[in-house]
Amino acid sequence: MTGERPATDGGSVTSDEGRRVGSGSSARRPAEGDRLGWLFEPRLLTVAAASLLLVVLAGLVQVSFGAYSMTVGQAWRAVLDPAVLLDPRWSLNFLLGEELMRAVTGFQGELPELARETLVVWNIRLPRVLVAVVVGANLAVSGAIFQAVTRNELASPFILGVSSGAGLMILLTLVVFGGLSAFLPLIAALGGSVAFLIVYAIAWKNGTSPVRLVLAGVIVGTVFNSLQTGLFFFADDIGVVQSAIQWTTGSLTGADWEQVRMALPWTLAAMGLALAGSRQLNLLLLGEQTAKSLGMSIEKVRFALSGVAVLAAAASIAVAGIVSFVGLIVPHVVRNLVGSDYKRVIVGCLFVGPALMVGADVGARLGMSVLTGADAQIPVGIVTGLVGGPYFLYLMRRQQNVGDL
Amino acid sequence: MSIEHANATESDEPSGANESPEAIESDAATDASDLDAEDLVLGYPTAPEPVVDGESIAAEPGAVTALVGPNGSGKSTLLKGLANQIDPDGGSVLLDGRDVHSMDTKALAKRLGLLSQESTSPDSITVEDLVYHGRYPHRGFFERTTSEDARAVERAIDLAGCGHLRDREVGSLSGGQKQLAWIAMILAQDTDVLLLDEPTTFLDLHHQMEVMEIIETLRDESDVTVVVVLHDIEQAARLADRVVALKDGEVRARGPPEAVVTEELLSGVFRVDAEVVDTDSGPRVTPIRARHEE
Repeated sequence: MTGERPATDGGSVTSDEGRRVGSGSSARRPAEGDRLGWLFEPRLLTVAAASLLLVVLAGLVQVSFGAYSMTVGQAWRAVLDPAVLLDPRWSLNFLLGEELMRAVTGFQGELPELARETLVVWNIRLPRVLVAVVVGANLAVSGAIFQAVTRNELASPFILGVSSGAGLMILLTLVVFGGLSAFLPLIAALGGSVAFLIVYAIAWKNGTSPVRLVLAGVIVGTVFNSLQTGLFFFADDIGVVQSAIQWTTGSLTGADWEQVRMALPWTLAAMGLALAGSRQLNLLLLGEQTAKSLGMSIEKVRFALSGVAVLAAAASIAVAGIVSFVGLIVPHVVRNLVGSDYKRVIVGCLFVGPALMVGADVGARLGMSVLTGADAQIPVGIVTGLVGGPYFLYLMRRQQNVGDL
Repeated sequence: MSIEHANATESDEPSGANESPEAIESDAATDASDLDAEDLVLGYPTAPEPVVDGESIAAEPGAVTALVGPNGSGKSTLLKGLANQIDPDGGSVLLDGRDVHSMDTKALAKRLGLLSQESTSPDSITVEDLVYHGRYPHRGFFERTTSEDARAVERAIDLAGCGHLRDREVGSLSGGQKQLAWIAMILAQDTDVLLLDEPTTFLDLHHQMEVMEIIETLRDESDVTVVVVLHDIEQAARLADRVVALKDGEVRARGPPEAVVTEELLSGVFRVDAEVVDTDSGPRVTPIRARHEE
């Protein structure tokens, strides 16, 4: 909305209505063309650039430090190693997996040798950063959508039962059906989606409403969480319990290219759909009645948008477990920075979400060794919670009307 | 505004007589839209009894019809029923002969606009962006704004007289300014029929007059069919071509203002003793006391 506005001649309207028509006012908004003008808005650009910088810095820390330490310069060179970046066999090997790479390129021989630093960075450390980026974007966008759908600023990706459904399935898989643990990511994502459908079915009575949805989410969440907690009693192995905690608090330990490959297609789809739906989200913010009287099929739109948000949340659960707070805080931060227009909120979330997630993962991976010297990692969900709580406190102190959207 | 007209003959039926200049004018505008409710039964799922039980009401094409009545008389419910916001338990609402309930929601929104009593919006949205939302039914899912949208928005902002507010955030506006912005949004919808639910309630005198002037402009200079719920019976008498008085979900009187706004109506429907004097600018109502009998 900034920048030049081609003057579509509003004065020439030969209208028989309008008492002040023809007063020489001109249309202020570009009609055709300049389709992406809203993207180049200074506030949004600043947010995107700052977040990108944060991702790069935190990412560099992540790839430099660890059991095999190298200098930042070495790490930087390893990330930009032309042996990987310019060799489609290697880069596709990482991005698509070895089998697909061989199918695509037709290459059957041995891949060329890589330097030790490059191997460490590309095999182990970089994919973890990428998974953090994907998870951050998914959770942030998912939260932003749910906040519009429920018209509640305190909504998160998990408000409609997704986390409790996923959590229950995680515990069931680990404790009862141990044989299925290879499919855990898929089962967790499915559990979340099924819980969402149950919530929707409970809330439905000749259509639904934000309040009914949130209440149904609380009901389903309470029951599923109780079952989940109950299942902990049947875990006889401390390893199983730790693994369950990792999944239910969210962790990126051991995140690999496989996780990138698993989440990326769904993420791209969800992000595209979220952007396409941003105008519907904007209209939902005007309230149900206005949206309806403007001709929106509100139930269809609400369900479809919730579906997109659940898809994004499920993709992040599959690779990282249930990471809390990211989907709650990021849309908040973005809205404060770029305003309430959802086109910009979604784009902002695509940048700020990854920044928070990559940053928090630095703490999760390296924090313990810095603080105590122990070579231990903590689930990233613990760090996001530790960052998120105080941030909300700050927000509550500063703003009069937290919660209204 | 509407050009195609399936049954123009139907809407030509003489509504009243040609005694006033306005009537001649609205007769000339034959493509004004017709909104007819027949035996409408409206209720809420939580209430056992319907609020409106089998009422028929016709909005005069191209004219202003005012709905008046005490609190809880079913005015707003009737208006929501006319706008297809409530599914009727019986009867039908016909827009130019077509049942609004069977129309596609967007197609209906292109022809019929509703200004609700309470409108909410994010505080940080600008007035211009809000008005652009009025173009929603005219745009496809992926369509961007066209020059036609821009023209409609300009016209709406001009008509509502909120050009000076265009770049202000809605959260920073006064109640009256907000109402003008919302009216601009609904005008941008560019419909043949406008339903307004108490557009002047809670506004200061200046903004009440602004809103009344907008409605008068609509009546005088276009063929928009307007149905407006008003609390102020004097205002209704001044503004409307026809007044419909409701009590307990029943139409108690209908017709031109001077025939409807009478001392009998005020005591029977509004339960006040009042003095009604006919003046050049319509009936003047002086309430004297509330009636406590029954």
